[in-house]
Amino acid sequence: MEKQQTAGTTPQYGSEIALAFENVKFFYPESQTAAVDGVSLSVKRGEFVSIIGHNGSGKSTLARLACGLLQADEGRISVLGLDLSDEKNVAEVRRHTGIVFQNPDNQTVASIVEDDVAFGPENLGVEREEIGRRIEWALESVGMTKYRHATPSRLSGGQKQRIAVAGMLAIRPDILILDESTAMLDPRGRREVIDVVRRLNSEAGMTILLITHFMEEALLADRTIVMNRGSIVLQGTPDDIFENGEALTTYNLCLPEITEISRMLAAGGIAVPPCLRPEELASHIAACAKERGYSTLASPRTPRAAAPKNGAWDIDVKDLSYTYSASSPFASHALRGVDLHIGDGEFFGIIGHTGSGKSTLIQHLNALIKLPQANKKYKPPKLKKGQTPPTMPQITVGEYDLADKKCNFLSLRADVGMVFQYPEYQLFAETVEEDVAFGLKNFFKDMSAEERRERVRAAIAAVGLDPGEVCGKSPFDLSGGQKRRVAIAGVIVTRPKILVLDEPAAGLDPLGKREIMELLHKLHSEWCRTVIIVSHDMDEIACNCTRAFVVSEGRIFCCDAPHELFARYDELIPLGLDVPLTAKICRALGEYGIDIDCDYTPRGFADAVIAAFKGGRADA
Amino acid sequence: MLNDVTFGQYYPAQSFAHRLDPRLKLLMLIAYIVALFIAKTFYGLALCALFAVFAVFISKVPFGAVLRSVKGVIFLLAFTAVLNVFFHGGENVLVQWGVIRICLEGVLFAVFLMIRLAFLVIGSALLTLTTTPVSLTDGIESLLKPLTWIKFPVHALALIMSIALRFIPTLIDETNRIISAQKARGADFESGNIVKRVKAIIPILIPLLISAFRRADELGDAMDARCYTNSPHRTKYKKLTFTWRDLVAAVAAAALIAGAVLFNVYAYDIWPAAYGYVVML
Repeated sequence: MEKQQTAGTTPQYGSEIALAFENVKFFYPESQTAAVDGVSLSVKRGEFVSIIGHNGSGKSTLARLACGLLQADEGRISVLGLDLSDEKNVAEVRRHTGIVFQNPDNQTVASIVEDDVAFGPENLGVEREEIGRRIEWALESVGMTKYRHATPSRLSGGQKQRIAVAGMLAIRPDILILDESTAMLDPRGRREVIDVVRRLNSEAGMTILLITHFMEEALLADRTIVMNRGSIVLQGTPDDIFENGEALTTYNLCLPEITEISRMLAAGGIAVPPCLRPEELASHIAACAKERGYSTLASPRTPRAAAPKNGAWDIDVKDLSYTYSASSPFASHALRGVDLHIGDGEFFGIIGHTGSGKSTLIQHLNALIKLPQANKKYKPPKLKKGQTPPTMPQITVGEYDLADKKCNFLSLRADVGMVFQYPEYQLFAETVEEDVAFGLKNFFKDMSAEERRERVRAAIAAVGLDPGEVCGKSPFDLSGGQKRRVAIAGVIVTRPKILVLDEPAAGLDPLGKREIMELLHKLHSEWCRTVIIVSHDMDEIACNCTRAFVVSEGRIFCCDAPHELFARYDELIPLGLDVPLTAKICRALGEYGIDIDCDYTPRGFADAVIAAFKGGRADA
Repeated sequence: MLNDVTFGQYYPAQSFAHRLDPRLKLLMLIAYIVALFIAKTFYGLALCALFAVFAVFISKVPFGAVLRSVKGVIFLLAFTAVLNVFFHGGENVLVQWGVIRICLEGVLFAVFLMIRLAFLVIGSALLTLTTTPVSLTDGIESLLKPLTWIKFPVHALALIMSIALRFIPTLIDETNRIISAQKARGADFESGNIVKRVKAIIPILIPLLISAFRRADELGDAMDARCYTNSPHRTKYKKLTFTWRDLVAAVAAAALIAGAVLFNVYAYDIWPAAYGYVVML
């Protein structure tokens, strides 16, 4: 790869500086505030820079300025020594910069992978044979050679993003920019993309600008830049930046979870130096233990509360199987014999990589996908003598029997609220009030306008917005986070007893994620008896859920409380899943002979370590 | 709702017909249609039908899949047939019932038209069954290439088609998602009168449009970043090549047209007694 890169079209602009911003300002049309406000920045060739910042802090604008997609209003930008204020240089700069965006679906132009990768070189007028070589090289660089003749729309998110990277590589850029390219991916996809980026940096010496919300990704860089309201507010090695937790919180970012844990430990008498990686923290804890003369430590086993008892409202799924496009050559099994039981009042988690069948599963819960025998046209198969009828899947949700044709499905949907992924993309009405009222109008046709108004306002207030302020506004004028809240209000307005959310925090910045989870807890205690979330974020599951369920390849892998679930570390990773940070620390501690039994919340982990130290006995 | 849509009707298989150059297949379809229309006799029609049946046979596409395409136009077929049976004049009266008069000529002509129309549909269906939308687009682009001479934006047109094809599955997924989300909020798309149903589409249409524009924006950026310009200096990676198969097929298509013409000319000599019942135009 290295050889090919240097043999390629590396420009002769002798500059050692890949990217230089001098006091750059940028305004979006019709906006008074600068999206990028006086940024000065210089990135060396071969450097790996990560950029973090809350949503709307100007990171994406910065990225688009750097590759010539936007023109600065003030200041000077030069890329590889080419001044971007000169129109003539724009095309040349684009030749040498690649950018990969957030949405894996919106970056490919062709229906076949190799045609798509060919698009860039075709535009540059590269010869046919050379295009062929570039396709080969680009696909090999991202590990997608096998998929050369595949159709992008049938690939996973991580694979699609790698194709997008390959499409950019084919123009042989010197600088690769990733604008939250991993935000919409599951843990497996994220790992795939980040591995490719790291390799390009270390092996091919490519300059990388990585914009991300994930600390573990930002940590991989040589340098981290923090943006807030259009300006660069902090710069330094990732370790320096993240260890300085206080500064982050003032810029609308979150304290890293690991820093929080360190502080809890310090408060409990175990002083550990600041650190950011689970292995480091484990080694610090082990050092502390050694200092005090403990060679082995174990936290006391605490008996766990049993899973909640079945109440009046619970969900019972028996032997659920589902096949997409059953009679076509593209048939795929989404679910195979799933059994699931969710108790009343649970905060339940569903975990699984993309395509594992979890979306299909939740759509059965409110009969968006009906059981076969509940369809009007269904007729039981005729049986010959002595033949036993095939067992059919069964689902009951509270008093609703979903296998019954006569089940009141409309009323079921009012009782089982469902918030889909990126629910803000489903808003449609002229005003927020109308949009939120949509469900009420459908479910309760006889409701008086007065009562409807009251209910809508109550729902908007429940999601943390001010009804007086937003009711009359168009939903499209709100910020991203507000839109999502409005969309959630539109579901809870019917006062569902069960609320199901598919990746409620996807695409939000860390603070936004935290706020949404807080909101869900509030809804759980005040509005809905049972909350079910689908999530990739294991820390989210560990911190919030009473029990969680892991689905893989359409089957249940296991269903248990987080402390049991994440103890199965070695089995989860091969499924393309991640584990919570605390589970990683526990595992690293295990190698030092320290056995921590905890519920995998930061608080629970810190308490367990403190308890282990208290109960520890010096061997000497 | 839209789950079972597999885009286009491409039938994946490895066959002689599948491997033909898409440009040639397009030209062959044109030749076949021309042959169908110049054939004035049942002989010519039979030749075309034989040609189509043979093509289906070597394409390894099940006959059922081909016939399904005729199902779509069955109403049109029936309508033309009925019209001709009743209103085509003639000398051999079969049925006389008040003003209604059915002649042998009318019946034969109706049959003739039905066969012609049915085989027209079968031929076109066979093209889309054996050619992926992508290579069809490539073929169209290549065939239209001469139009660049009159400044017709052939490449832009091909790119538009390619992007449209690429986004169809994505937008179908998106539509399904929006439908599910609005159904979860109690929307009902399946009952009520026309007005009500049209109104019910608004909560699907608006988010879909907004999302399409958002996607278009992002795709535009991604294309810009990959140096897209509509310049004549673009190169093309995919090259269509003629092989011996294409030559064989081209000869067959030429023979078909020649056959249709010959049957028109020599219709009388083949079977003089049947002449009146065989020549239709």
